Amino acid sequence: MKSTVRRVVAPLTALVLAAALSSCGGGDDTGSEKKSVTLWMYPVIADQAASDAYWKKVETDFEAANATIDLKVELQPWDKRDEKLATAFAGKKGPDTVLLIPDQIPQYVKNGSLEPVGDVLEADKDKFLPNAIPGLTVEGKVYGAPIYHTVTTTLYNKTVLTKAGISKPPATWDEIKAAAPKLKAAGFQTLDYSASPEATLNLNFYPLLWQAGGKVFAEDGKSVTFNQAPGLDALTFLKTLWDEGAIPKSALTNGNAIDNQPIGKGQVAMAFTATPANAALAAKSWGEANTEVGAPLTGAKQVGYGIPGGLSVNAASENLDETKKFLSFMTQPPQLQALSKATGYFTPRTDAKVEVTDPLTLKFGPALQYTFPGEPNPAARQIMSLLTIEIQAVLTGKKAPQQALDDAAKQADELLKR
Amino acid sequence: MTQVGVDRDSPARRPRPVPLRGRHGPRRRAWVGLVFVAPMLALFLAFRFLPAVGAVWLSLTDYRLSGRWKFVAFDNYARLLQDSLFHQSLVVTLTYTLIFVPLTVLLSLGTALLLQQVVWQRGFFRGVFFLPYVTSIVLAAVIWKWIYDAQDGLLNAVLGLVSIGPIDFLGSDHSVLASIAVTSAWKGFGYSMLILLAGLQAVPRSYLEAAMIDGASAWQRFRYIVLPQLRPVLFFVLVIETISAFQVFDAMYVMTGGGPVRASYSLVYFLYDSGFKFFDFGYASAIGIMLFFIVLIISLIQRRLVGRDD
Repeated sequence: MKSTVRRVVAPLTALVLAAALSSCGGGDDTGSEKKSVTLWMYPVIADQAASDAYWKKVETDFEAANATIDLKVELQPWDKRDEKLATAFAGKKGPDTVLLIPDQIPQYVKNGSLEPVGDVLEADKDKFLPNAIPGLTVEGKVYGAPIYHTVTTTLYNKTVLTKAGISKPPATWDEIKAAAPKLKAAGFQTLDYSASPEATLNLNFYPLLWQAGGKVFAEDGKSVTFNQAPGLDALTFLKTLWDEGAIPKSALTNGNAIDNQPIGKGQVAMAFTATPANAALAAKSWGEANTEVGAPLTGAKQVGYGIPGGLSVNAASENLDETKKFLSFMTQPPQLQALSKATGYFTPRTDAKVEVTDPLTLKFGPALQYTFPGEPNPAARQIMSLLTIEIQAVLTGKKAPQQALDDAAKQADELLKR
Repeated sequence: MTQVGVDRDSPARRPRPVPLRGRHGPRRRAWVGLVFVAPMLALFLAFRFLPAVGAVWLSLTDYRLSGRWKFVAFDNYARLLQDSLFHQSLVVTLTYTLIFVPLTVLLSLGTALLLQQVVWQRGFFRGVFFLPYVTSIVLAAVIWKWIYDAQDGLLNAVLGLVSIGPIDFLGSDHSVLASIAVTSAWKGFGYSMLILLAGLQAVPRSYLEAAMIDGASAWQRFRYIVLPQLRPVLFFVLVIETISAFQVFDAMYVMTGGGPVRASYSLVYFLYDSGFKFFDFGYASAIGIMLFFIVLIISLIQRRLVGRDD
């Protein structure tokens, strides 16, 4: 018995010891005092090769300027990013710094997961776009260092409009309502929209709500106001278009995308929250001459959705100073200009302009003045998921718009009270 | 020449067990066995058992994103029983299970019976039918979403040829669960098919040959010989497919996002939303534990009905 056990245990012990010794050896090799900073970055640069090249250069340049810091850029998918972050933050783990957008930040601030970064931006704070720093600010403290600014606006398929006999692209709600019957008669739909429960309302219902003059939250953030008159106007506008067949039925399940969606296939006349990347994809499908970028839609007001993307710092980071050094590095004009060229997004700094040569991207510039970054609230994302279901109930005829908005508001207010 | 009426595994042909040497034979073999299974056992304890115990503990707390928590005893369970979303997702999951399990078992059994008859290239056909099982469910769901598309999906194009439709398979609460069940059944039936095929091959040929000599029809041979012999395997297939049905999430997430209006919002989807959208980890754990007990009770009922002699 003993010999059998020995025969099995001896090699196992040797393996464990060998592994332990080899790991000790590794420690000696990297025995410098380098501190590491990990960044979780997402595919803001759509092209994989360009993304790899940009972040590799950032690593090289930053480490060259900061010999004692080891920067690790980990590229993550957009999908389920909050789930991964929430799990990491809950365990006091995760990256030292991560890319966040305005409506993600408050929930992590509320839970004490983020470190304020206002000191990083203090010297240059007047050089940022008006919405850039406020968009990443919660209760007076800045929690994100802006590295780009997005803008969304209208995108038109001129071939579809021409076939329906429409010479001027519809730019207001009234013009859209007037164009819908003509487009339907020509065999097309009018407006791209996603009512999928997994789609963000920032690109769908909320811009309509803001255009109607409404807000998601009351000023104090302790209750919602989307069920007031502007919200009803926005949802009624949407429902009217849905009932007229002006929105694709697949909107209930499809996300906001161009590829393999009715809009990409040339079945829909326009989108109202398109990004430069969407416009580039559409131009490939429709032809550049048939692709038109317009101004943000006008309801009672002219509003588009556009946000700063910012680097936030994990409060549990063991290397806060080094992480803030990296944020300071990333918010300097050379890095922002290179990122802008790679992403097609705008730089958040007014002194870091990039000469845009692409004619389609160029047309997004004027829309920047109409951008609204959304309303920060710790429950913003959760309330979205409550409201989306009620919007589906309206579109599928299960509830009247006011009833659905009131039901969503009741659930949202209960959530805000917790 | 085949010897009719004699089972190949009859006691007369079974090899005699080799006697163990030494006074402590069985104990020694147990120790050696334990050493060999120890790595797997350690992994199982670390990554399966301990997280399960952790989930039970979490379900008794109000653990949230901040990491702060307090012991709330059975509050999460009391809240769960009164939550209309829990009731709704339970109804959705049960309805889905009632569609998915019979569909998958019939599809698996039918394919296994057909495959058993195939002599030429049986391995090839077995591989072809098993292929969807090793395909990613996300990929399968995306492809089936295109097939079901209300506007220009393949299925509506085919139905259009006979002047039916278009039908909004995923946009209607009447058809959404059946549509997702078909996708999941297509994806998963290969595994059960292999198990049933192995079960069919274990049915003694002598019984079937004797029945044939007695003039039993194909249906009678299936009903009175094959089916009773298959019962242990069928019970296993029923249990794993029921568990799989209760755990449905990915297909619903990709194909409908739980819609329309939560018509495809399963228990696991509810768990996912509670944990990762509302960051209510204690509540999400309580849903997980409740799901465990529901599956356990259903498995016990199935055992009583189908696998009672096994």
